[in-house]
Amino acid sequence: MIEILLILFAPIIGGFIYGFERVVRARMQNRQGPPLLQPFYDMFKLIDKQAFIVNPYHTILGIMHFITLWVVVAFIIMGQNLLYVIFLHLLSSIFLILAGFSVKSIYSHIGSNRELLAALAYEPILIMIAVGFFMVNGSFDIAVIREHDASIASLFLLFLAYLMVMPIKLKKSPFDATEAHQEIVGGVEIEFSGIFFEFLYMAKWLEYIFVYLLLMLFAGDNIFLGIGLFIGVFLLLNLIDNATARIKMKHLIKIVLSLGLTLGMCNLIGLAYV
Amino acid sequence: MFDLKKYRKKSPWILHYNAGSCNGCDIEILASLAPKYDLERFGVINTGNPKQSDIFLVTGPVTYRSRERLVELYTQMPEPKVVIAVGSCTCTGGVFRDMYNVEDGIDRYIPVDVYIAGCAVSPELIIDGVVKALEILEKKSKEMEKALKLFKEATSENGVINRRNVALKVGEVHEEN
Ligand code: SF4
Repeated sequence: MIEILLILFAPIIGGFIYGFERVVRARMQNRQGPPLLQPFYDMFKLIDKQAFIVNPYHTILGIMHFITLWVVVAFIIMGQNLLYVIFLHLLSSIFLILAGFSVKSIYSHIGSNRELLAALAYEPILIMIAVGFFMVNGSFDIAVIREHDASIASLFLLFLAYLMVMPIKLKKSPFDATEAHQEIVGGVEIEFSGIFFEFLYMAKWLEYIFVYLLLMLFAGDNIFLGIGLFIGVFLLLNLIDNATARIKMKHLIKIVLSLGLTLGMCNLIGLAYV
Repeated sequence: MFDLKKYRKKSPWILHYNAGSCNGCDIEILASLAPKYDLERFGVINTGNPKQSDIFLVTGPVTYRSRERLVELYTQMPEPKVVIAVGSCTCTGGVFRDMYNVEDGIDRYIPVDVYIAGCAVSPELIIDGVVKALEILEKKSKEMEKALKLFKEATSENGVINRRNVALKVGEVHEEN
């Protein structure tokens, strides 16, 4: 029962996290910041705006992106297979990339390109995390992983690698070249408007849920450790976001692939032989 | 009834365009978005994307080269929208008035809802102007938005369409018809 409620309200919880994050970020910069419910005000406003449809596929792919992400979150909450979840999440990114390529705007194309390159950088790390969980818990099932003890100690290097993936997925500096708000005007989202942009906006909230739910898997059955991880990493990410500048796409791939893959590989080899 | 209109006021997203200003007012706009004056506490985001914004902040007296872009950006913004002219030169031409390479103010080309005078305007005035614009934004209904003719026909030479000088001055349309 509680699972169904969680799944139904996942976008709303994500919206709260996003709103809270904007407040936290503002307080870190010593200003007041928007109200907590700001994301929902934005949402209601977007319903009322005129919407331009560039072409039907573009809008449909945008909506598909949102729906697949919701399914991904539902799968995690229900405790399905971790590999399914990761590949389904890749599918949702692919929908977004296709949407970006389906219009003529150059910014949209650049955004799609970068999204693709970023997927290239973080996807191997996500898969290695799944393999790491398998080696520790003997199963890919999220329900089984949640029943075991916290695996953060034995997967510590993979955890560090995951810390590098999170800013990419949440579009935070230094790894926010995929969205790059003033530089390529949001990349793939540029041609969405009105109610169709809203789906992308809510997909962003679902992305928060996805990323933090994966993070909490590292805590296993220890709820308090999970919540502690969530709060700690949330503050850390915002601090880094406020303190760093955006790096180039080329450097993003180099850093994430070289450092992340090395960390992940070391961890996996260590698990296999030690 | 659940009234969606009141949420317009709570989440204004800003598009900022520089139509040939001296950058004095642009710096003030950035200052009003920055921590000291913190426009974000009203929910303002500086989007930079016309298709998702509600408030069009324009600075500068409209140079000849920026006319088409100004009108293009205006037409790309979905309704409801408001236009704010920031700075004396944007309202009337200011120090650039009657120069050979500028038009005198953006209201020669697009309808303006709020004029903010001052050279350069202070961030407090910009915040006042934005708050005023939000009142107007809330009152706007879809019926109020009449389609305006903002472009004239593009000329084409040897099959190449030339879109330079297609922006139409307010009032020019009557002279032609
Ligand atoms: S009003 Fe004055 S300060 Fe502002 S852009 Fe025009 S000339 Fe520059």
